[in-house]
Amino acid sequence: MRPAAIGWLDVPRGWLDSFGEVGRFGARVAGLVYSGRVGRYFGESVRQAGILILGSAVVIWAFVFILGLQCGVIGAYFNRSIGAPSLAGLFSAYCDLREGVPYAFGYILSAKVGTGIVAELGAMRISDEIDALEVMGIEPVAFLAATRLLGAWIAIPFLYLVGIGVAYFASYLAVVDQVGDVSSGGYLLIFWTYQDFVDVLFSLAKAMVMTTVIVLVGCYYGYTASGGPVGVGTATAKSMVVNIIMVHIIGMLGTFMFYGANPRAPIGG
Amino acid sequence: MILTARTIVAAVRPPYPYGEELVGQFLFVLKLSWFPMTISTFALCLGAPGLQAAGVLSLFGNLDRLGGFFVVTAVRFIGPIVTAVVVAGVAGTAITADLGARKIREELDALQVLGVDPIKNLVVPRFIALMVITGLLDIFAVVFGMSAGIAAELLYHQPLGGFFATLFANALVTDLAASVAMCSMFGAIIAVVCCYKGMTASGGPAGVGRAVNQAVVIAFMGVFSFLYVFTTVLLATNPELQAIR
Repeated sequence: MRPAAIGWLDVPRGWLDSFGEVGRFGARVAGLVYSGRVGRYFGESVRQAGILILGSAVVIWAFVFILGLQCGVIGAYFNRSIGAPSLAGLFSAYCDLREGVPYAFGYILSAKVGTGIVAELGAMRISDEIDALEVMGIEPVAFLAATRLLGAWIAIPFLYLVGIGVAYFASYLAVVDQVGDVSSGGYLLIFWTYQDFVDVLFSLAKAMVMTTVIVLVGCYYGYTASGGPVGVGTATAKSMVVNIIMVHIIGMLGTFMFYGANPRAPIGG
Repeated sequence: MILTARTIVAAVRPPYPYGEELVGQFLFVLKLSWFPMTISTFALCLGAPGLQAAGVLSLFGNLDRLGGFFVVTAVRFIGPIVTAVVVAGVAGTAITADLGARKIREELDALQVLGVDPIKNLVVPRFIALMVITGLLDIFAVVFGMSAGIAAELLYHQPLGGFFATLFANALVTDLAASVAMCSMFGAIIAVVCCYKGMTASGGPAGVGRAVNQAVVIAFMGVFSFLYVFTTVLLATNPELQAIR
């Protein structure tokens, strides 16, 4: 009844170990997508995009909705505490668009889509279906991994933009209807002043990089799963570790790149 | 829900055979979580409240106020969120995979045949270990969040005195206690969801993987819903938290 013995440094070491292999695998998959060789399986890509939308959209939006509520509540009380409750829109604009939604999106995507891919591909691997594909003359990496990446690239921008809208709606509910320090018009004025189209693009860029990494990590761990049904479970758990770290690092680097030198706020000159 | 009740009943009713397993699980979770925890908290706190808020505050020229802002965000909001996400994503998935593996190898049935109660011997130690360790990791998260705040101040070439002054002026015991209490509840939610999904895993090779997938999604949703309710109640019932000093 003892858990598997692991050392203190196993997690960082495993993370570094897998980094290069995931990178190489990812480069191969991305190369397949870019060179258009995935075009042979375009139907499968569209099917994967459809699965993504039907299976994950509601979960993603629900999660983002809760985060929007949270941003709204924190922002409303924070701005009340500094004596400027009418500026709650500032906090929720920043919290929703720039930071909160990309992170929440990354979390739920790695939880729902990333581990889902590992479970699916891992099951195929250990029941020898991937070898069977190879025997049938279908390139397994292109058919399984590259189509999923292309499918995610097709579907995710729309899911994400709707997700931003959902979070805005939730923040509006929390600030105006729940806490109620500011009128609807006052909130929306500040809210829309503190963001512009470029912010949406930056936010979308963060989310797309996260999506790419999550799908690639999921495909890698699923594709290389071994050790029976138990191995699939272990691989799923491992992919989650890598995904969480990567989501945070991408979020931070994105913030550095986009806002590090320029806060992009309409204050002063 | 039924598993929660049965876990709590089994935890308080003697005999207590789970001491060794409890220590083992505790160390297991700690060894798994410390590294993702460090990186994640530092990155998130440096990016979101660090740079974004410092950017806006530097336009007003009052970067020393970042300390007060960090109390609001890092202690109340980001610390618990990151702790919950890391524990659910790292330790929760490992627990589900572990229990799921035992379930489909029929070890759980074998335990029952031997007269060993799986809830008492497997679920209870994980439940208690996760509750305790999530609370402790939250303090860890707050410490690293604060160091990210210090890094943000240094990036903007600020002296640190103002940061610490506003930080300690605004930090209340209520904040930290609420943060830790919230995290313990997160740990309980995560443990119950992940143990339940692990113990009911079925369906051949894809079963364990799918159980992990569902467990982590349900744990995230449960944790975030709870976070929202808890924050609302906390802020509405503790007016002293609503003043920036």
